[in-house]
Amino acid sequence: MSSISHDHAAHGTAIPHGHADHGHDDHAHHPTGIMRWITTTNHKDIGTLYLWFSFIMFLSGGVLALTIRTELFHPGLQIVDPEFFNSLTTLHGLVMIFGAIMPAAVGFANWQVPLMIGAPDMAFARMNNWSFWLLPFAAALLIGSFFAPGGAPSGGWTLYPPLSVQFGMGMDMTIFAVHIMGASSIMGSINIVTTILNMRAPGMTLMKMPLFVWTWLITAYLLIAVMPVLAGAVTMLLTDRHFGTSFFNAAGGGDPVMFQHIFWFFGHPEVYIMILPSFGIVSAIIPTFSRKPLFGYASMVYATASIAILSFIVWAHHMFAVGMPAAGQLFFMYATMLIAVPTGVKVFNWVSTMWRGSLSFETPMLFAIGFIFLFTMGGFTGLVLAIAPVDIQLQDTYYVVAHFHYVLVAGSLFAFFGGIYYWLPKWCGRMYSETLGKVHFWASFIFFNITFFPMHFLGLAGMPRRVPDYATQFTDWNEVASIGAFGFGLSQLIFLYAVVQAIRSGEPAPARPWDGADTLEWTLPSPLPYHTFETPPTVA
Amino acid sequence: MPVHPTTTSISPATRRANLRAAVVLVLIAAVFFAGVILSQAFGQTSVGISVLGVGIVGFLVLAIGRNIRR
Repeated sequence: MSSISHDHAAHGTAIPHGHADHGHDDHAHHPTGIMRWITTTNHKDIGTLYLWFSFIMFLSGGVLALTIRTELFHPGLQIVDPEFFNSLTTLHGLVMIFGAIMPAAVGFANWQVPLMIGAPDMAFARMNNWSFWLLPFAAALLIGSFFAPGGAPSGGWTLYPPLSVQFGMGMDMTIFAVHIMGASSIMGSINIVTTILNMRAPGMTLMKMPLFVWTWLITAYLLIAVMPVLAGAVTMLLTDRHFGTSFFNAAGGGDPVMFQHIFWFFGHPEVYIMILPSFGIVSAIIPTFSRKPLFGYASMVYATASIAILSFIVWAHHMFAVGMPAAGQLFFMYATMLIAVPTGVKVFNWVSTMWRGSLSFETPMLFAIGFIFLFTMGGFTGLVLAIAPVDIQLQDTYYVVAHFHYVLVAGSLFAFFGGIYYWLPKWCGRMYSETLGKVHFWASFIFFNITFFPMHFLGLAGMPRRVPDYATQFTDWNEVASIGAFGFGLSQLIFLYAVVQAIRSGEPAPARPWDGADTLEWTLPSPLPYHTFETPPTVA
Repeated sequence: MPVHPTTTSISPATRRANLRAAVVLVLIAAVFFAGVILSQAFGQTSVGISVLGVGIVGFLVLAIGRNIRR
């Protein structure tokens, strides 16, 4: 027994019982080598698998992005033909969204949700294994579509018909990959919801749960609601392609615009699926390094739920340029703007948590502050795009590309980096190099802005996205963006080195390396035993 | 095939509750999947989408609301 005897849960005191942490770990025996990872049902192992998988996919999507930026370094066609360029943009989006960001978030959930609520594991441990092991096959199909006759899909990650009805076999592989990844997400979400609702430690009421758990509970509900809708949409695409239906095929009386409605009914909640877990991570980091409780906990919970609910009624703001009645435009414009209110509540609460706190600026805190600053910028450009007449001007320009990269890279990704640095000492029992972490942060922060800030200018000046060539007046900012992209890509190798170095030879980490950390996982020793909370703690 | 030791500390009542929750969630996913296809196949898509939207929002409010004090 080496646990701390009086630590704090979100709002209570955790009292670990006799064998709560199992430091001696009777059940620590498990297969070794590759079979450990293939057969594992342990939430920590599966969390690790998700995180490494997502990092590999992040690097793969990054290679696609750097190829895009190389082509765009100068006007004219340099290294790839236009069809392949469009395949690169399509697969970059699909790989990053379904292969990198979503699995990374599920990796954090696997590691942290049971630990934060005092559960021994996920509710359905074997299904958890299956959820993960579907992903490599889906990824192989997705990336393998490059080698299919006709190449990878090149109509954009949104898979709009009529192009998606006409592509070759690569589209079938992509549709199948989306089906598999959707099934994986739904199974993972069912596991997370069930674990949170049924397996909390005694005394851990919903309103005592750490905000990370709350954000994942709501995210999992979103996933269960919208992933089947995407699966339905791509199933209809498949039947249009091969079974003679005409859901979206205008030649047969179908409606291609309806695909866009259905897609974005999935697609906009998907944006929040990717960002809500990041909100949870940042809400764990900021109080720790401010040495203050999270300001406005209840309002954070309600704001998260509000964002989730509103996300279902704003989908058509992605379609202002498609054409819709003025009343529809006004509804979707105002509904979209309304999301700024709960989002603003969150930003206000994070800043208020820091206000008069005893701040320190370790790497996780730097990433959290970087997240707040850059995500807020992405949020503001989102408000600009919510204005229907402005959006019609900026639709499909680089302004949109800049906006969603500020939300998803500086938003989701920065929070994930912060989360890795924050929990790595607990996970592997070793500290990372603070110097390397800070170099990684500043390099990422600077090169991210060099890459994506100029895209606002390019978009406002009218440069269209998804086109491999451009008018010569856009050359300067494209050169800057491409240089920034390579810098940003290389910066991530620092992250890889920092993590590997920490795992292999980092300084041993104490049970609670951050003195402001007060959730249940910090009551356990570092590194975590293979099984934890087999006897649940009582949260007073 | 090597099998990992699984957690044995989950009570049968919790296992049953887990199964009930999972069945409900799977059914929701199945209804949405079939619903979006059937609403397209039989027309009246705006009705279908509205039903889905109300169902989702209502489910969220009920599911979280009834647990809020537990």
